[in-house]
Amino acid sequence: MSMVDLDKARSVLEEALRRGADHATVRLQERVYELIVYDTGVLRSYTTSRVVGLGVRAVVRGGSGYAYTTSLNKENVLRTVESAITVARVADRYGRRVLAPLTPVRDRYATEFKVDPHSVDPETKVSLLRDVNTSSVKREGIVSAVTRLGLERDRRLIVTSEGTELEIDVVGVGFAHMAVARYGAVIERVSDSESYIGGYEHIEKRDWGKFSEEIDELAIKAAQSKTPPPGAYTAVVDNEVVGLLLHEAFGHASEGDGVVTGASILKGRVGERVASELVTIVDAGLVEGGYPVPYDDEGAPKKRTVIVERGVLKGYLTSRDTSPELGIELTGNARAQDVTFDTLVRQTNYYAEPGDWRVEELFEGISFGIYLKGRGAMGGQVNPSVGTYTFSIGPSYIIRNGEPAELVRGVVVSGNILETLKEVDAVARDLKITTSVFGGCGKGGQLVRVGDGGPHLRTRKIIVGGG
Amino acid sequence: MIEDVVERGVKIGARLGASEVEVYATRRRGIDIIGTRRGIERITSGERVDVGVRVAAGKRVTVQGGMLSRVEDVDSVVEAAVKIARTLPEDPQWISLPKEIGRTRVEETVDRRIGEPDVEYFVEVVRLLLKRPSEMDKRAFTSSASVQLATVERAIGNSYGEAQVEESTSFGSFVSVKAVEAGEESGYYDFYLAPTLARFDPETMARKATEIAVKTLGAKRVPTGAYEVILVPRVFSGVLASLIVPAVCADSVQKGRSPLGGRVDSQVLSENLTVIDDGTYPGLAGTRSFDDEGVSTKRKEVFDRGVLKGFLYDTYTALIEGRSSTGNAFRRSPYSTPTPWISNLLVNPGKGSLDDLTRDVRRGVVVYATIGEWLSNPVSGLLNATVTNGIYLENGEEKHPVKGVVLSGNVYEDLRSAEVRVSGATESFDRFVLPSLYIPRMILAGE
Repeated sequence: MSMVDLDKARSVLEEALRRGADHATVRLQERVYELIVYDTGVLRSYTTSRVVGLGVRAVVRGGSGYAYTTSLNKENVLRTVESAITVARVADRYGRRVLAPLTPVRDRYATEFKVDPHSVDPETKVSLLRDVNTSSVKREGIVSAVTRLGLERDRRLIVTSEGTELEIDVVGVGFAHMAVARYGAVIERVSDSESYIGGYEHIEKRDWGKFSEEIDELAIKAAQSKTPPPGAYTAVVDNEVVGLLLHEAFGHASEGDGVVTGASILKGRVGERVASELVTIVDAGLVEGGYPVPYDDEGAPKKRTVIVERGVLKGYLTSRDTSPELGIELTGNARAQDVTFDTLVRQTNYYAEPGDWRVEELFEGISFGIYLKGRGAMGGQVNPSVGTYTFSIGPSYIIRNGEPAELVRGVVVSGNILETLKEVDAVARDLKITTSVFGGCGKGGQLVRVGDGGPHLRTRKIIVGGG
Repeated sequence: MIEDVVERGVKIGARLGASEVEVYATRRRGIDIIGTRRGIERITSGERVDVGVRVAAGKRVTVQGGMLSRVEDVDSVVEAAVKIARTLPEDPQWISLPKEIGRTRVEETVDRRIGEPDVEYFVEVVRLLLKRPSEMDKRAFTSSASVQLATVERAIGNSYGEAQVEESTSFGSFVSVKAVEAGEESGYYDFYLAPTLARFDPETMARKATEIAVKTLGAKRVPTGAYEVILVPRVFSGVLASLIVPAVCADSVQKGRSPLGGRVDSQVLSENLTVIDDGTYPGLAGTRSFDDEGVSTKRKEVFDRGVLKGFLYDTYTALIEGRSSTGNAFRRSPYSTPTPWISNLLVNPGKGSLDDLTRDVRRGVVVYATIGEWLSNPVSGLLNATVTNGIYLENGEEKHPVKGVVLSGNVYEDLRSAEVRVSGATESFDRFVLPSLYIPRMILAGE
């Protein structure tokens, strides 16, 4: 029934080679995303979108061209193949590209699920949201609330002229809640979400009323709290914030495309100390709690890549064209949002390895500091060429005399890639990695799903902005 | 083709018994050329057709969408929408789809050089952006440069009127320049985004990016405290889009998520700030004949000399208040439910140049770029933006470059001061025409 099958991909590949491509990669994709939004007592939207399309990368001598179409009839597909080859020939006149060799693999990876989320009837999903959302809005102090359900199935086929043939089928579900609370003139919002790789069974087995109530309570307390005095702090950082910190403060700068072009501040620093020796950072395709990336969109296996080992920079994330240029191994990090984009070097699941401290021990000896909490965090951004990063934090706690004290709101931190991780002086043993079906990582106009996390850790200096 | 999709979809919806049907279809053809230090890196070309269908069965409403391979593919999208709509709870606030769809005449939205491109010419543009910075200054080089050409057709129709169709072009160009000297690194990017090539000047883009990248080498933090701050137009646009725009969109106001609820006709910003939303302004990225639900675009004052004049509405939010849409329906993607958003945003100019604003600064920072301004909280009005490129000034004199400090505070307190000023010179880019902005007091979090 599907227009997206391996035979189709193989025939397009043959066509590309017949028409003069030296190498070719064909990507076919079918992605269905369902998003249901209940806003302050009203079903605001129930949307389903389906992405179906084909992309062809053709390499002619040293030139690379990529073309895509959402129209899979024969005429359009042939035109797309021709277009990829034509632009590859133009590109060949101006640049030389060498691709890392690809060992052919035939594999199928599919996440396990019990209940297909798109087969659950709409009324069941809507009534879950209605119940949670309406009781949230009734809560004293809450002025509005948005509750969302995200359900996704993403099937990708990748066929290359080296003989690689892959089918990757990932099902994910998530629940999100945002509460807006008012206290006097102060309005504050807190949002959080939980996502699972797997089927609707994950939604069924959790008490979402309780999940949302906790967010509501936090928003109510946050609205009554102050913003922290801006300045430099000693901080204990929770798992979620560590994930954001590593992703923004280090992950992007370790992406090989930015290193090749000289944009990254980490260029030429392999072997240098870039973090405290307590810090080891890894990018891995398959980890508990993360987003599964067994192979990247070029068909390369996503290996477990050690970026920083005991504080020393070991390497970068690479794609087929950045790996030979950097003279390091292919790590399988070429990813695209969907077939309407060519790949970029992206993180998969980027996290820090756990240490041996107990979480409580991290607070000991801090007379004044901040406990940075991820619940309610909005995300972050980095400029890898300047080295500056920033991200928002959820409601957090001022630390006084070794213990979390009053709650503060509106916390944003910023820092420098080459400084922050050198200030880490303790790493806890509680590793936690999460992903989200509501968002991901943006780069070059593309959004991809990622996972991030780590253990709690302590840093001696981080810049906190606030009200 | 997309006109056929719209007509067919509306008919099928009616046949299946939907009380209202709206079909929005887009076709986008484009070419992207990306270059890096290594030369022309890759060229991408493609075409996509997307459809979004909004169906009402009484007050039960849903949006379904997807990419289309053929005109007939719209059938299954409409069928799914009608089927799902019937199972949903009623939205008591739903009144109807727009009943008057139409168009306003707009200019400078199509450029033939983009629609039928000479690819080799645009390759040369990228090559120029790649080589010019290092010719201008030995410390500088281009890390990446690109152009994006697109032709976009939009068609929309609903149960109440004939389909509206519009074709426009879009041209984007980007250059990212890095500067390195004695172990210090800096970088700056400049960009162009408009429907036509009319104001495109790659030489100026390359020069500006190079100058600021080099000028901000050796940047450091300043101590935490209150400073005078000048935001160049691009940074000003980030503050507006992150904090002010969400707060003037009617959906935020109706749901209690705007600090501006109930403040129409009151003084919210400085008297020196007049802010206009105008989807008909020629040659900007948001210029169009009709919004994303087919309502004709118009010009309206949002703040007149600091006084809040009204909010931005789509049809849904307008009908809740018994008024008309302001032509501000916006879909994040063709598959999304429309919500209010700006079309183009203009701030009326004041007097003098950026230099005139900096000359009188006693102790302050000129901010050329920030990151993370979108992490600011529009519900509370709290601004947080981290400076990546800035210059510290004392008595009008440039002292040293600044990075890594956070601009923070409540935007309504910062922009309310009578001493807030804007420059006479404006810049047009993306969806904005903006001057530079002087803020007399802002907290910077630094050392």
